[in-house]
Parts: sequence; C-alpha cells; structure tokens
Amino acid sequence: MNFLQKMKGTTQSPPAVGLVEVLWSWAGSFLGIGAVSLIHYKLLSQTDLLMIIGSFGASAVLIYGAVRSPLAQPRNLIGGHVLSAIVGVTAFQLVGGQPWLAASLAVSVSIALMHLTKTLHPPGGATALIAVIGGDGVHSLGYLYVLIPVALGAAVMLLIALVVNNISKTRRYPEFWL
Amino acid sequence: MSKNDETYTSPPAISEQDIISAMKAIPGYVDITPGDFKQIYQVAYTMAIERLLNSVTAGQLMTRTVQLLKQAMSLVEAATFLADNQVSGAPVVDDENTLVGIVSEKDFLREMGFGFNPSFMQIATHCLHDKSCMIGNLHGRTVADIMTKSPVSGCPEMTIGSISTIFADRKINRLPIVDHEGLIVGIVTRTDLAHAYRVFTGGRQA
Repeated sequence: MNFLQKMKGTTQSPPAVGLVEVLWSWAGSFLGIGAVSLIHYKLLSQTDLLMIIGSFGASAVLIYGAVRSPLAQPRNLIGGHVLSAIVGVTAFQLVGGQPWLAASLAVSVSIALMHLTKTLHPPGGATALIAVIGGDGVHSLGYLYVLIPVALGAAVMLLIALVVNNISKTRRYPEFWL
Repeated sequence: MSKNDETYTSPPAISEQDIISAMKAIPGYVDITPGDFKQIYQVAYTMAIERLLNSVTAGQLMTRTVQLLKQAMSLVEAATFLADNQVSGAPVVDDENTLVGIVSEKDFLREMGFGFNPSFMQIATHCLHDKSCMIGNLHGRTVADIMTKSPVSGCPEMTIGSISTIFADRKINRLPIVDHEGLIVGIVTRTDLAHAYRVFTGGRQA
C-alpha cells in the first residue's frame, strides 16, 4: 500500500454501544471523578495538596467507558500514571528552564517507557505534561506529585471502577491485573 | 509449501460485516477495528491449522495389525488373503520381514489387462460385453510380479499434514509405517485419515 493510499483508511468504525452501556459509563465516570474531586475540593482545599488533575478525565473515558480495552486495565492505569509522573517531574527538574524541551521530553519518554513496560495508558502522557506545564502548585510538590495526586487519585478511580463496572451482568472489570 | 497446503490454511472468508455483527453481540465497547480483528483472525487461523496438522502423528492414526503379503505368494492366494481380511491392498515383505513392496486392487486389475488406471466399472463393462473375464491372466503369477517395488513408507513420528501431502502427491491410498529397524509397525490408510477427526477431538463425537 503506498503512502497516499494509506491515508484513505482500510476499515470502518466499530459499532456503537447500547444505551445500557452508555448509562453505566456515565454512572462510573460520575462517581469516579466525583470521588477524587470531592477529596480535592472538600478535604484538601486548605492545603497545598491536589487530588485532581486533568489527565484523570481521560482515564475516566477508558476505565468507565471502554472497560475491556487493554489500555484501561489496572496495570496500565496505575503503571502508566505513576511512570509518567516520575518522568514528568524529572523532566521539569532537569530541563525546566526550557519548558518546550521539558514538555516534549516528558511526554515522549513516558510513551516509550509505557510501551516498554506494557503499561501504555494514554492519560499518562497528560500526567507527564502536567508535571511540566501545571504551574507553581504542581511544581512545588516535587516528587510528591507522583504519590499525591497521581498514584492516590488513580487508585481511588480504580476502586470505583472495580465496584461500578462489576454491578451490571453484561460488564466485568478488569480483564487482567498484571 | 505445496499448492495444496495453501488451500488448507486459508481461512474461510470472513467479512467485516460478520465481525461487526459479532462485536455488536458483545456488550460493551470493544477496542479494536474490524480490520485489525480480521488480520488477527487470519493469522491465528493459519497457526491453528498448522498446529492441528502437526499435532497428530502416524503413530496415533495407524492401524497396528497389518496384514502382510509374502513375495512368493501366488496371486490367487494373495487375492484370497486380501478378500478374507477385507482389505484392498497390503504391504509385501521378504523373508526378513522387511518391506519390499505394496500390492493393491489396482495392481491386480492392471495385471488383468485393464490399462494403467483401472476401475471396477471398467471390469463390469468388460464382463457385460464380453463373457471372458480375464481373471485367467492371474494364474501362475506371484505377488513379486505385480507389486509396486520400493514403496513410500513413513515413520511413526510423521505428522498428519505430511501424510496427507504424500497421499495427494503420490496418488496412493495407504502408507506402511516402519520403525527405525525397517520393520513394519503399522499402516495409515485414507480411511485412517478420515478418522483423524476423532483423534483431534480426543475421541469425542462431533
């Protein structure tokens, strides 16, 4: 297949899901994001700590909306976020003076590491990026960013996923742990 | 790989519509495109066929009690022997019990003068039109005269895939199986191949 032919695509979009699936996806993500944002706004508001970051919205799509996806499994959710957070903080601390370089290294190295460790989780890229572009609130956390909000927030969302995704007869989660 | 093998290993044509229907039957969002699934299916199917063809061996398929003919047997004796044992052919061994040839109905018919590719219908037609049944041609001849010399043989480890290929390529119906010392330990016939399904499924019926 030549270069231009490839751009036309070769197959079609997978079928749409049923209404029940839509409702469960809605319920799971409402509760999952609800849990982390409650902690963020109600418990941690007087501290310098965070509980919610933008990449959790992306994780919610996967772990509540595409629960069978390999990208949505616990290994990927936790592994992808934690690895990417470490890479992001490291990138900022090493080359933070050149934010464009820190940002691109954070994301690209995260993707490579997630591939190598079989923990590919698309929101991990955002987690790494936020460590660089997240402003003083994030920068001042240093490597604590890896634990709170990233690891803890992902763990809370995982807990909600384990509960909500296994209520319906037609759903189950996870496909695998490790 | 021969042309035959390729037809065995090409999966039944599955359409993207089939895949989409199957995906619809699974509740939840299946994170794969129909095109990718088709590609995985085709490769997996080919590998499954390879595995099946390599998993069953001559040792599992063969009939172990082999009716053997001696070279010196007269054709009348041999014909009686084959008829009594209800087989249409048998390996021929020498005095040391080593395989030296194979004899089948076709060798008899050829000897009777029915050409290179004789069939029962030819005999029937012949006998209907002409009362002399040519069976007399067999008198005074021995197994050694009509047998196929140095026939193809297999070993017990030979896979069902290679046995099928030999049957098709050599246009033969039976394959004597010999051990490392050249002694006959069994025979695989086309009928045994047809029963291979039972070996695949571990004795369960379809």
